[in-house]
Amino acid sequence: MADTKLLFLVQRPPYKSENPRLAITHAISYQTVDLFLEEGETVTPVLAFVGDGVLNCLKDQKSIQTYDTTSTETHVKNSLLLDIKVIVCKEDLERLGISHDRLADAADMGAESSINVAPFVEIMKEMETSKHLLCF
Amino acid sequence: MKLGVFLSDLRRTENTIERLKAEKFGIFLVSNGIYHATLKFNGEISPVLKIQGANYYALLEDLQTRGLSENNLVDKKIKVITYDGLVDLIMNDYEQLAWL
Repeated sequence: MADTKLLFLVQRPPYKSENPRLAITHAISYQTVDLFLEEGETVTPVLAFVGDGVLNCLKDQKSIQTYDTTSTETHVKNSLLLDIKVIVCKEDLERLGISHDRLADAADMGAESSINVAPFVEIMKEMETSKHLLCF
Repeated sequence: MKLGVFLSDLRRTENTIERLKAEKFGIFLVSNGIYHATLKFNGEISPVLKIQGANYYALLEDLQTRGLSENNLVDKKIKVITYDGLVDLIMNDYEQLAWL
């Protein structure tokens, strides 16, 4: 049985460019690749937010109300709902003065997973164990 | 010159904005520029907020879009404005506008 681990590394803040959202939607779309896999093959995506990318994970994003567009927060919550591992860099949160309680949570949608705040060394370990590293 | 500058990025524009001079200088923090108004960087406010005599404005809609509000402002000199307020300012208070 072969598993292909993909690490999506998000470094940019949300909204100004589509990059962060593309990373999340690509990660979510891993479920559709089942069609193309051989028997016993699996794909496991991991989403990691580093640098200014951690800003994607703030809660209470009101883009629907302001610009009538889905929020990056909603995408993050959908990832959690699908049990995708979501990691946010602890050092970058501290550097930007963002407390953990300001991060999105998908418990209201019934998700059992939550955002994992971890030091960068943990994200490095995810990089080392991934077959593909995709930077956004 | 009464100059209004739109700052829409979190990075790379600090050096330019620090060099601009104007009789009246307004800095409009929009899009990802609003992070200058709401974040501290290693405990320090953004260099963008340290320009002497400048008037600072942050766009409410862009704050709210990103999960932020007036409560997150890092400096009292920043005024939160709506799109309507922004239009009033650029029509009445600033003769020239620049977008960084």
